[in-house]
Amino acid sequence: MTASPSFYAASSLSAALDALAERGPQGAPLAGGTWIMRAPIRHEPLKPAYVGLDGVPELGRIEETDGILSIGAGVTHARLAEAVAGRPELRVLAEAAGRSANPAIRRAATVGGNLCTTDFAAADLVPALLCLDAEVEIASRGGTERLPLAAFLSLRHSLEPGRLLTRVFVPRSGAVSAHARLPLRKAGDYPTAIVSLSVTRDTAGRIAQARVAVGSVETVARRWTRLEAALVGTPLCGEQAHRAATELADEFAGRDGVEAPGWYRVSVLPVLVRRAVIALH
Amino acid sequence: MPIEMTVNGEARRSAADPMTPLIDVLRDEFHLTGAKPVCREGFCGACTVLVDGEPLVACLTPAALVEGREIRTVEGLSAGGRLNPLQTRLVEHDAVQCGMCFPGMVVTLTHFLAQTPRPSRDQVRAALTGNACRCTGYERIVAAALDVAGV
Repeated sequence: MTASPSFYAASSLSAALDALAERGPQGAPLAGGTWIMRAPIRHEPLKPAYVGLDGVPELGRIEETDGILSIGAGVTHARLAEAVAGRPELRVLAEAAGRSANPAIRRAATVGGNLCTTDFAAADLVPALLCLDAEVEIASRGGTERLPLAAFLSLRHSLEPGRLLTRVFVPRSGAVSAHARLPLRKAGDYPTAIVSLSVTRDTAGRIAQARVAVGSVETVARRWTRLEAALVGTPLCGEQAHRAATELADEFAGRDGVEAPGWYRVSVLPVLVRRAVIALH
Repeated sequence: MPIEMTVNGEARRSAADPMTPLIDVLRDEFHLTGAKPVCREGFCGACTVLVDGEPLVACLTPAALVEGREIRTVEGLSAGGRLNPLQTRLVEHDAVQCGMCFPGMVVTLTHFLAQTPRPSRDQVRAALTGNACRCTGYERIVAAALDVAGV
């Protein structure tokens, strides 16, 4: 049997970045722990060393400056849901954060964990933040960089040790948004498919710009740009959106899983699109 | 390095490895067997305990994360040997079940009713999302919770 992992509780961001750099590929950050602690169930080994982020004050902040909401990677789902409640353009985020998993998990699981867990296809915050055009900040001892969430998703599996997602930036806008998810039970388990939607309307009430993101259907959430283009210029109509989504849904290759086969995940997309559009009324 | 915490008002020190699930520390080291390790994946809530007053699943909480924190388990909910108002109502409604899921439900609902003194039935049900009963025995528990709130 291998030695049990070491744990270092970082008390500042610089201490966390130093510790991660020193541990290199042997180490990993640990925030709420809700994914890492299930490694034994997935028959995965734990890392030799963890760097606890729980006590890093910089990661727990939610701030707004110049029309950009900055969310620390250590903010829990529960805190995020509370912080963005009541803002129509962020409703997608409030619903993603406030309905995922169950209350106890939402009190522990963090924004950073949700975005960095490469193997977690059913993450709710990922499509929600994609449809809000979010960016992420990656920090390391060498400095920080900022990149679009979609770009981060494509490189996160190969992120070098010592680099840490520290903040998420969400630009404020005049859009309205909604999050439609389909768990097999009403609540408490993973969604088989997720549609996150954010739209702005012109003076006639027609869709001027639409951003649609699909989660849990494929292994990584992504924008549905063909549907976005099809929605522009149309009224906010659930049936019309359902028809457009039905015509375009074949671009998705659903992932098979124990809770649902791939074809099922794809087949519910038009209904979720309709629900999301109707929720905007 | 020992991990120090307060459990049901008492200062405790654990010799467990830092990544040991809190549920194992509570049960195997401190012999507090009210919280149950059932699914060990955060779905069932049978291991729910209060950490600094907030219900968390002890199966997914590494011991290292409770250093310096205050833990309250189901054993610690009845101060001075007196049942709390929820516990009293649960007895009156004959809602006490086999003891697998039940301690977690008591912890969850004790916290929920303190935060939400006059909940709707749907709010009670939503609060119990992460507490699964394999016998589907929710009705009397929900009724007892609503009774505490006087609704």
